[in-house]
Amino acid sequence: MFALEQPLVRRQVSLLDGTPWGAIVTLALAVAAVIVLSLLGLVPRAAVGVVGTAAAHGTLLGVALAWTSTGERRDRHAVLEAAAVVAIAASTAAALPGGWLAYLLPPAWLACRRPGWIGTVGAPSVRAVGGSTLFGFGLGVHLLVSAGLTLGHHVRLGPITDLVAWWAYDLGANVLSAEAFFRAALFERAHRRWAFPAAAAISIGASVVRYLADPLLPHSAEMVAGAAFYLALLAAGNCWLFARTGSLLPPYAAGLAFFVVYRLLATR
Amino acid sequence: MIGIGVALALAVITVLLALADDGVTSLWRHAYHVPVIVAALVYGGPGVLVALAAILLYAPFVIPALERLGPSAQVLEGLVTFAMLLGSGVLSAALAIGVRRQRRRFETLVAVQRSLEGEVPLAVALVRLRVCLASRLDAEIGLAVHDGTNVAVAGGVEVAHHSTVAHVLSTGETVFVADAGGVTRPRRCFVAPIGAGELIIGALAIERAGDIGPDERRALLTLAAHLALALENARLAARQRRFAEELAEKVTAATERVMEVDRLKTEFVALASHELRTPLTALQGFSELLATRRFAPAEIARIGLIMATETERLGRIVSDFLDLTRLERGQAPPLRRRRVDTAALVSDAVELLRRGRITHELDMELDKPLPELDADPDALDRVVKNLVGNAVKYSPAGTRVRVTARARSAPRAVEITVEDQGPGIAEADLPRVFEPYYRAAGATASVGGLGLGLAVVKSLVDAHGGEIHAENVTPHGTRMTLILPAVS
Repeated sequence: MFALEQPLVRRQVSLLDGTPWGAIVTLALAVAAVIVLSLLGLVPRAAVGVVGTAAAHGTLLGVALAWTSTGERRDRHAVLEAAAVVAIAASTAAALPGGWLAYLLPPAWLACRRPGWIGTVGAPSVRAVGGSTLFGFGLGVHLLVSAGLTLGHHVRLGPITDLVAWWAYDLGANVLSAEAFFRAALFERAHRRWAFPAAAAISIGASVVRYLADPLLPHSAEMVAGAAFYLALLAAGNCWLFARTGSLLPPYAAGLAFFVVYRLLATR
Repeated sequence: MIGIGVALALAVITVLLALADDGVTSLWRHAYHVPVIVAALVYGGPGVLVALAAILLYAPFVIPALERLGPSAQVLEGLVTFAMLLGSGVLSAALAIGVRRQRRRFETLVAVQRSLEGEVPLAVALVRLRVCLASRLDAEIGLAVHDGTNVAVAGGVEVAHHSTVAHVLSTGETVFVADAGGVTRPRRCFVAPIGAGELIIGALAIERAGDIGPDERRALLTLAAHLALALENARLAARQRRFAEELAEKVTAATERVMEVDRLKTEFVALASHELRTPLTALQGFSELLATRRFAPAEIARIGLIMATETERLGRIVSDFLDLTRLERGQAPPLRRRRVDTAALVSDAVELLRRGRITHELDMELDKPLPELDADPDALDRVVKNLVGNAVKYSPAGTRVRVTARARSAPRAVEITVEDQGPGIAEADLPRVFEPYYRAAGATASVGGLGLGLAVVKSLVDAHGGEIHAENVTPHGTRMTLILPAVS
């Protein structure tokens, strides 16, 4: 028991401790270089998308690994490693028909790098994963209904290849990196210092900002307001799920379920 | 079942709202309050989620109206309904949580009292408390309580130096550690001093993978104060029980002692009557003879000598009675102190007895020179004669009685021993031989006496500031050792 056995040392880890700034700057420079090369017509425009996706999601995944590192040397280069994995997935998905399957690579890679996030510690029950999936699904359906009633958007059911590509992107990059960074790293780190409401507020705020800054999100006022509302609810639920189970699977399942439904929304 | 009922109610109300002409202002919207309040009262905090669900279900009716009509009265009604649903959910949940928390606290206090019932060692009581609190608080519990010079611990082997509990025990401060380890879920650790006022008797440690909020920490401080009182009460109750048992034992022993003294006194009265009758019978017989017959002068002298001896014996018995009376009143015998030549006193007493008793071999060994004593010579003479007389009386004829006197230094004193070759005294009787009326079991049948001699001897020795003790010697016999302070 800590109170009887361990020396009384009040650990004060700042929120940004252990951030691999060097790797982040390197990635930013790489993205800038690709953009410049693209503007000069030296690389295809699609490369900017691939590099941007790899840099953004790789940074989130890599920082999550660095913040939760227990001192392994490999974690120092986690950002570059994650960016490489996402880049492989994104470029394969863009280049090959059926390449979306490559988005299975990042979750598999993350499961190997942080098995504790999945279930070795606080293994979530099937009920917890099922419940969180229902939660995400319900929230997504509500979004569809609200958007249909208020903005006149309707449900799209095709083309199926587009939908599958989006779902694969959510599975292997979008939801994966968001939950790894905002729940398993940021929320966990904040929760070590403050009570749940404060830690959740930081995590929710940061994840909403991240989505609002996402260039792939439609930027009409109604869509931004709706996204902020639903993503805040999703993030709050996911913080609670992570704090409750200690596993990343339930919030990951909730996020996936939400985005699976969200991708059915035809914005035009 | 209640959960399913609540979900069904939400669904039915939403359908009814959808079927109504104007969902926003339909009276059915108020029906949402029923499942919201029920869920909040039944589930507490998580019940508020039902309020959020109700708002989400009602929102598709309000938001299109907002888009269509702008901030109209209808929309305002809808927004007020949002606020009321959230408010009633939060308020009902807060009430339910408060009531449950209060009930849990009372139940915990009762459980703490129950776990301390009965007289058990502190370590066992702490283990019971730990089990009780762990299940009640859904946390890992550690307890450390001062037990004399040690610290009794439950929940660990010992209190490590510089640990949180050690800090709380030494300073009496409350410590909250927000990050006490844990892999994906941080463990919280809260340690409260167990104490009443300034006195810290221990520490209560709570650890959990999850929050220990300010309200719970305040409640835990109250619990720690209650634990202090409960432990102190248990300790006092145990002490009171022990006192009662000791008192009962003492009363029983005193009663037995009184009964023993009463028995000894009865025996003593019978014995004293017999002892008095013997010289009285002799005196009566010889005085009648002198009164009724004529005797030759030599015979009269012989009878006179016998009568004088018996009178002296009678006087000695009466003197013992007087000493006993003083002894029982707790008075020291009167002494006429002066400087006494120890060697002369001991040798005179022994010589006198040697002349009178020829059945035993009386040896005497005296250091030369022996220091002088500041004592009452008559009292000391009586002491020595009594000890030598006892040695002769309680050892078989023909055996040797040895009297020694030695000088002792630091502190300066004289040690006189009288050793016989008799059967000795039973070990159980040794501590009691100086008690009044007490006579060893074997002695009563074979040898006469009142059982007062050694008690009187001890009172005289005590009055001189000396000490006396009895011991058995090998192979058989008894040694009486008398130590008297010498003149410096």
